[in-house]
Amino acid sequence: MAISQIISGPLAPQRRISRRTLLKGSGALAMGAVALPLAHGTAVEQSEASTSSGLPHKVKVIDCHAHLTHRSRTTWEADDRKLIEAADKLGIDQLCCSTLTPRRPATADGFRECNQWTAEGMRRFPGRVLGYCYVNPGYGREALEEIRRCVGDRGFIGIKLYNEYTCTEPVVFPIVELAIELGVPILQHALHSHYFVEDQPRMSDSGHLAELARRYPEAMLICAHISGGGDWEWTIKALRHSPNVLLDTSGSVTDEGTVEMAVEVVGTDRVVFGCDSSMTAGVGKIRGANLSTQDKQKILGGNITRLLRRRKS
Amino acid sequence: MIVDVNAYLGHFAFRRLRYNTAASLFALMDSKKIDKAVVSSTSAITYRNAQAGNEELAQEVRGHSDRLIPFAVINPFYAGWQDDLKICHEEFGMAGLRLYPKWHNYQLSSLCCRELVNAATERGMVISIPIRVEDNRQRSWLLNVPDVPLEEIIELVKAHPKARFILLNGIGYTRCPLGRKDNGLPSNYALELSRLSAVLANELGQLITNLGAERVMFGTGMPFNYPDPALVKLEVLDISEADKEKIRSQNAITWLRL
Repeated sequence: MAISQIISGPLAPQRRISRRTLLKGSGALAMGAVALPLAHGTAVEQSEASTSSGLPHKVKVIDCHAHLTHRSRTTWEADDRKLIEAADKLGIDQLCCSTLTPRRPATADGFRECNQWTAEGMRRFPGRVLGYCYVNPGYGREALEEIRRCVGDRGFIGIKLYNEYTCTEPVVFPIVELAIELGVPILQHALHSHYFVEDQPRMSDSGHLAELARRYPEAMLICAHISGGGDWEWTIKALRHSPNVLLDTSGSVTDEGTVEMAVEVVGTDRVVFGCDSSMTAGVGKIRGANLSTQDKQKILGGNITRLLRRRKS
Repeated sequence: MIVDVNAYLGHFAFRRLRYNTAASLFALMDSKKIDKAVVSSTSAITYRNAQAGNEELAQEVRGHSDRLIPFAVINPFYAGWQDDLKICHEEFGMAGLRLYPKWHNYQLSSLCCRELVNAATERGMVISIPIRVEDNRQRSWLLNVPDVPLEEIIELVKAHPKARFILLNGIGYTRCPLGRKDNGLPSNYALELSRLSAVLANELGQLITNLGAERVMFGTGMPFNYPDPALVKLEVLDISEADKEKIRSQNAITWLRL
């Protein structure tokens, strides 16, 4: 992308990437082909003016996988502010955030404290931070009560599960059933490596998510960070036949072709944009993906918006 | 002008790469307005005889010296490396090296490697070292190749003050002397930016403050990586346009005598 395509933000010297720049990419660049004339501007303008896709004129850019900083870190306040500033620079409108305990397994007090801080983050950055309720399913009733409190009373948009349990373990099922009752998604930490990850023995992978999705076809599941979750080709292929699992593009890995393969295998409607703190990687992957502007709009915000509208309360 | 010091051509053993021929890479470069790229053979990373990869690269870049700057992959523990170096430099016009000490299973501190660095330096060749090829979490079941420890790089740059090194695909420089101000190390190394953060921790900004924009170079890792994340970093970086221009092209032009 040319530097001239950045538009200056209102607060110099900050620079902000415009929605149009974010959506531009190698849309006309066929795989392995020689150079073709590109017509980004025209394509973007046409798409933004169109409502035939059912999308609003301007879809919000929503990072479906973000984190606020745990307050044991003395710089938490500045770190959270930097997250919003980075989102400003990169043209990200909203961030779906959880706060995680520094060490797992989280205690009930630990995840309640984290969710309290997430709720405060939602108030500090109104309209920018959306909250995931983080729980350790092993706490049973306390975890379920915390989800009801966060989603019902505090306006959280979903549930974040980490690696305390593999998502196919029965202890997780009540969480999934409550998510279905409330109509909110579960963002599941996931990784598939071809070796045993010793420090995360109960790690879930996309195969586990596919199994969970078969058991609960009404659940809305998001497989976290295909670009930081080990063998992304394995991860994507394992979810081909799981219509109620979405793939989150976040992670630090920027392997060319990842987003295109995800779209090809599971369909555009099941791919959602995320960064998981790797902000320029997250944005750059979508910009670089050889997809239509309409597909990018769905990934950047349309798909997650559609999901969040299924909330029942 | 944009010069990418971190690009590749050829096949990689563990993943299909797109845009890995000269023609298709040009299409990608054109779409991103990248003018020139330093390329080496991806096949040479896993070929036992890396020179076969260099020969494939030489064939692929023939007639494209205006845009592609070929670097040789040399394994200093493989028979005939001195001959390979001479051919790569004198016949193929390769302006530098890419070293893979962990993939080729040797130590940067070994005598053979030191001889290679000295020989390349005498020829005026730049030596680039990819700290990693790909994220270790996605590695094949066949192998486990660690990243090159930055401590080993520090010893290398200290031992060869006249050599010129470009470190690729690295991160965490600010946590060691390589990225610190007044670190007592020779100024004989530059850092490529493809994995450095430009927001949040902003390691890239810290490195420019600590070492100067003259020590940072633009690179993407294409076609392993999307070029766009690296381009986005440059776009959002809060530095002067003059410094951006150094990173975008001027430093590479100076180092590679383009």
